[in-house]
Amino acid sequence: MSLLELEDVSASYGYAPVLHGISFGLEANRAEGILGANGAGKTTTLRAISGMVPATGRIRFDGVDILGKSPDRIARMGIAHVPEGRGTLGGLSVRDNLRIGAYQRKDRKQIDEHIEFCLDLFPNLRERISSNASALSGGEQQMLAVARAFMAQPRVILLDEASLGLAPSTAQRVYDAIRRLQTETGVAMVVVEQNASLAFSVVDHALVLETGRVSIEGPKESLMGMDEVRRAYLGG
Amino acid sequence: MAYTIQLIVEGFATGSIYGALALAIVLVNRSTGLINFAQGSMGVLATFVAFGLVQLGAPLLLAMLVAFVFAFVFGAGVERFVVRRFEGGDPDTAVVVTIGLFVLIAGIAALIWGYEPRQFPSLFPPQSIEILGVFISLRSVGTIVVLVAVMALLQVLFRFTKLGLAMRAVADNPQSASLSGLPVSRLLMVGWGLAAVLGALAGILVAPQLFISPTMLDFALVYALAAAILGGLDSPLGAVVAAWFIGIVENLAGAYIDFIGDDLKIAVPFIFMLVILIARPQGLFGRKVTVRI
Amino acid sequence: MKNLLARPIVRLLLAVVIAVVIIVAPISSSSFINYQLSLIAVFAVALLGLNIVMGYTGQVSLGQSAFLGLGAYIAAYGVRQEWPVVVIFLLCCIIPAAVGLLVALAAARLRGLALAMVTIALPIIGVPLAKRFPDFTGGSVGSTVSWLEAPEGSGLADDQFRYYLVVAIAVVLFILGRNLVRGRIGRAFAIVKSNEAVALSMGISPYRYKVLAFTIASLFGGASGFLYIAVVQYTSPETLSFATSINLVAAMVIGGSASILGTVLGAIYFVMLPVVAGQIDSSRTALISGAALLLVLFLLPGGLVSLPRRIAQLVRGGRGGSPRSRAAADRPPTGDTAPRTTAAPEAEKQPR
Repeated sequence: MSLLELEDVSASYGYAPVLHGISFGLEANRAEGILGANGAGKTTTLRAISGMVPATGRIRFDGVDILGKSPDRIARMGIAHVPEGRGTLGGLSVRDNLRIGAYQRKDRKQIDEHIEFCLDLFPNLRERISSNASALSGGEQQMLAVARAFMAQPRVILLDEASLGLAPSTAQRVYDAIRRLQTETGVAMVVVEQNASLAFSVVDHALVLETGRVSIEGPKESLMGMDEVRRAYLGG
Repeated sequence: MAYTIQLIVEGFATGSIYGALALAIVLVNRSTGLINFAQGSMGVLATFVAFGLVQLGAPLLLAMLVAFVFAFVFGAGVERFVVRRFEGGDPDTAVVVTIGLFVLIAGIAALIWGYEPRQFPSLFPPQSIEILGVFISLRSVGTIVVLVAVMALLQVLFRFTKLGLAMRAVADNPQSASLSGLPVSRLLMVGWGLAAVLGALAGILVAPQLFISPTMLDFALVYALAAAILGGLDSPLGAVVAAWFIGIVENLAGAYIDFIGDDLKIAVPFIFMLVILIARPQGLFGRKVTVRI
Repeated sequence: MKNLLARPIVRLLLAVVIAVVIIVAPISSSSFINYQLSLIAVFAVALLGLNIVMGYTGQVSLGQSAFLGLGAYIAAYGVRQEWPVVVIFLLCCIIPAAVGLLVALAAARLRGLALAMVTIALPIIGVPLAKRFPDFTGGSVGSTVSWLEAPEGSGLADDQFRYYLVVAIAVVLFILGRNLVRGRIGRAFAIVKSNEAVALSMGISPYRYKVLAFTIASLFGGASGFLYIAVVQYTSPETLSFATSINLVAAMVIGGSASILGTVLGAIYFVMLPVVAGQIDSSRTALISGAALLLVLFLLPGGLVSLPRRIAQLVRGGRGGSPRSRAAADRPPTGDTAPRTTAAPEAEKQPR
């Protein structure tokens, strides 16, 4: 049984259907990529998992139905969502942002260790530990958002367009850190990305969404070999 | 000179009462982004609870504590069952909702206790003390001390406790906070509950002076709103400083500018407010926010 | 039912029937009922003004009673000075409008809550100010006048004469108001209400239109003050008090925001509530008023005017039928599908 399992999940905004029966499974310690154009339903898929949009079908996490639960309950169960646009708490300091990530944890000593781990992973944040998150650059905010998700010690991290609005070199650095995070901690990930080559630096399996349906799926290597994937998402 | 100092101290004390209510308004605004026009009448209702207990023979301090508990539960309940529906929607509708609450709660208080103003015991002894030839009432001193203590407590809560950190996070960005597993719904209720306790405190502080009646805090609410806007709706310190400023200035203006007198002194904070709002729309201490389209 | 109402002939017939009822009503009614009916016309005008700035343009105003009171004071003063009625009426419109314009020039820079705060100041400062100028206002006692008696030979009692006068003026003002909100300016108001950035991009200055809406609201408020003196023949600081403003806002929302018919319903509610509640216990007015306002906000956000539609919706079951058919009726058919398909990717990108 997979750690996270979606079965025939559909969702809509008002009258506008966005997802038409998505199914996939995520094993523990693995990273799954979701590729697709704007409006294909990538973000909505993540939102459906974390309870931010109402959906139908079936979503199970560790064998428990989570569809219909509130976002904060799903987060406490061990799913950390790094939303599109980063969602850092701008009025709070970097340290407070990390502490908020660990809000539900009681192990104070370990929390401090994990904060250290995050600061090693993202050295930029160490220099700005006391500044307000709103004063950070876009790349730093993205790093903070990922670090905050990690601070919850989740079993799954949902990562939404972490490269959005970043300069290519910054995006590369963010993804390097994400890969390190994934390999060192073994946390499972769902990586939504428009830039497929960045996603492929982390994931080993991916699916492609087209207008709310899964059009292709498979291991990284076979996807990278497909012409249509290359043309659409790898720039050549 | 002695008279002026006396006026300033009294203005300080009155300003402290506005300040308590202004803090409540800031707290609600920070947690839910709303202005609660019912903040005053909620405070009055809790003060009436204390009043009822005192009439039954309970000591004032106990009555006050019960009133605080009542206010907390009531405030949290109002958030959960009335205001929740309108959060994140059209802010003008939300304003009208709290106006409806304002009318309704005043109506409930009037139904139970009537409009007749009644005497309410004071927390402080009626004496005055003399410092360097200036007579200052213990009531004034006590009121100021209470407000300063409340501010210190709030600072401790928000800076040094986990609950305070969580409340700041929810105020900052409720959605991100929920994605970090914070129980946003309960934290919002706590914010409203705490605000209602502050309102009750304002009511209990002012009731001995004004006598208790359903409309007792109406004017204080207007001052408090002016203070909250002057100070910047997201700044507790700013709101209290502005409330002190208003209390002092209106007292001095009422005494020394003939045309203003006692009845027109309420115009003073508004004139300040208008001038400042036009010059600095985010208030004196507020952060500048860019409006999202 | 709906199709029937859409036919011009039916609408015309309906208008004729209503007109006949309005004209015939006072002849057979007691003077008390005529007084109440006249008051409904008075407050309908004040509410129309409030609805223009708040309902149609989306700017919270908690100061409408100040303009009502100002108009009433001007009228009472004019009567004491024996000015001609037409002059009094014009002054009752012009002066409050000018005051409203001045306030708006400063206040319209502000948004939502700040605007609400500035407008709250009007009645709150207005009351002590009115008491400060007793020569003009009569101080706290207020000012009583005696005028607009029915002309001899008209065969009308005073209350009937005043009813006709007030209703006639109110009807004219309503026609003007309706044309305003349905016309070019009204469309600009609606755009300012829904999105100021969009308004700007279309070359509509939100600031100017907010000032305009506020000025018009003040003008209607002042006119209703004139009508108030015509009917009540007395005014005091109570007329412009904060409580009156709050009750006007409540009545507007209960009647129906951004709706002409809703404005009339709001006025009926505003006038009838104290009468009905007063028969039980006057301290319950506030209770009933607050509860009614919250109930409407929860169950009937469109106000009383939307009740038939809401019932039809509930009868048809769910929310499926009605909004769709409305959308189809309001917009050309091609406009219906196009934005919907593009809405899907848009929706996904939105930050919340």
